[in-house]
Amino acid sequence: MPRALWSGSLSFGLVNVPVVMVPAVRDLDLHFRQLHAKDGAPIDVQRWCSKEDVEVGWDEIDRAFELDDGGQVIVTDEELEAIEPRRTRTIEIESFVDLSEVDPIYFDHPYYLLPASGDDGSARAYRLLTDVMARTERAALGQFVMRAKEYLAIVRSHDGALMLSTMLFADEVRDGNDVENAAQKSHKPSAQQLKAAAAVIEELSGKWEPGEWKDRYRRRLRDVVARKRKGQTIKAPKPREAVPEMPDLMAALEQTLADMREGKSDKRREKQEA
Amino acid sequence: MARSIWNGTITFGLIAVPIRVHSATESHTIHFHQVHAKDGARIKQKRICSKERKEVRYEVRGGEFVMLEKDEIDAAAGDRSRTIALEQFVERTEVDPVFYDRVYYLGAGDDGQDAYRLLHDALERSGRAGIGRWVFHNREYLVAVRPLNKFLVLHTMRFADELVSADKLEIPSPSRRPSDRELEMAEQLVSSLQKAFRPSAFKDSYRDRVRDLIARKAKGEEIELPAPEKAEAPGDLAAALEASLGKRRS
Repeated sequence: MPRALWSGSLSFGLVNVPVVMVPAVRDLDLHFRQLHAKDGAPIDVQRWCSKEDVEVGWDEIDRAFELDDGGQVIVTDEELEAIEPRRTRTIEIESFVDLSEVDPIYFDHPYYLLPASGDDGSARAYRLLTDVMARTERAALGQFVMRAKEYLAIVRSHDGALMLSTMLFADEVRDGNDVENAAQKSHKPSAQQLKAAAAVIEELSGKWEPGEWKDRYRRRLRDVVARKRKGQTIKAPKPREAVPEMPDLMAALEQTLADMREGKSDKRREKQEA
Repeated sequence: MARSIWNGTITFGLIAVPIRVHSATESHTIHFHQVHAKDGARIKQKRICSKERKEVRYEVRGGEFVMLEKDEIDAAAGDRSRTIALEQFVERTEVDPVFYDRVYYLGAGDDGQDAYRLLHDALERSGRAGIGRWVFHNREYLVAVRPLNKFLVLHTMRFADELVSADKLEIPSPSRRPSDRELEMAEQLVSSLQKAFRPSAFKDSYRDRVRDLIARKAKGEEIELPAPEKAEAPGDLAAALEASLGKRRS
């Protein structure tokens, strides 16, 4: 069982479910250690005072906020805790929404919520909430505080468990007003272009099978490490063939469709081969 | 125009869509510095060779079990031809949001407006998203390209093996399943709390309180420290549901 990152309760009307939060994502990245090039010894990172030039232990470190005038304010853990909302150990469900209404852009980091105690009441309340959200395809919204930050969270049913995703606040999503999105009428595609593009998309369509898409970077990096260990030299791979320039959109669409009809361009296989 | 963080071309079939990648999110988290408690001076980090016990400035290189040079790590990045080939299109509703990691806006690149708009409109109409690979900062990502309102957005994606499967979690089973009556009451409660999703209805009030705390401390005020509360375990589930419904009706 993964380590609990947060514990508290999920409350829903007067129903209160004690829960713990565990990660829903695991880190499979390769991590490197920095070494001193000269002697291969690992590099340690030490914290030093910039004024006295002495090493500083963790217990001698404060948290400071820099003011505009150059001054600074020291803020303690206790003070940050003091301003947490009163019901800080609770994710209070404020509303339920149709899951399909929440654009994925707001989803940030996923976790699971698990019943915190083995007692039957908690297990049943947990199951009830999971079942009801699965049945209604609805998700619960609420706010909570974790590690000195307030989060908006969406809780939903996911394969018989409660999944919590932290969410971005509306003001954390940029409006994109300064992004060139070709909205002017002059860029509108013709009916013929749209039809051809739809046909290309249809031809390249398949079922979303997440397990088929492998992390090639991770695999290649492991491979680099393995080869280096055997004393081989590592060279960068040759770049993929560039797509031929076809400035005329309609010509590119027609040529793509023609290639597909001849079976020349079965792009779907590419991801499995690599 | 917003500064882009990457320029390149999205392709599907022989169709090339010149694009620019822009950030779509911004953090408003309040950041603190580490300072030495004694004199308030900034903490700086020093890299020390663990063998020689002296500071190392430039002669640092990466290594795990074996020594790797930076360009050797970069060799794993993959194709660097500055194209994102959309290899497959999938129904957007099939992709659970848990797969989406970071998100970026796509803007049309030079002379790419028509192609951009064509991909946008065709994806919007078909309800699909394009899946491809993107090499960014010497690392290859799986990405999804989809329309969002008037924009194309790009999500980096999590791989299936990075997600913890729900059946690996030891979720205790209740001695009996929730009764029909409990389910029915819970559904009523869910419906009574049902709202349209309005993202702007939620504010990060904690951020404001941290700002306020800093302002008060800057003026020399003392901060009061209250005692924490404890959560209570649920008692009678049906009674709690009934009481919740009653509370909402009144």
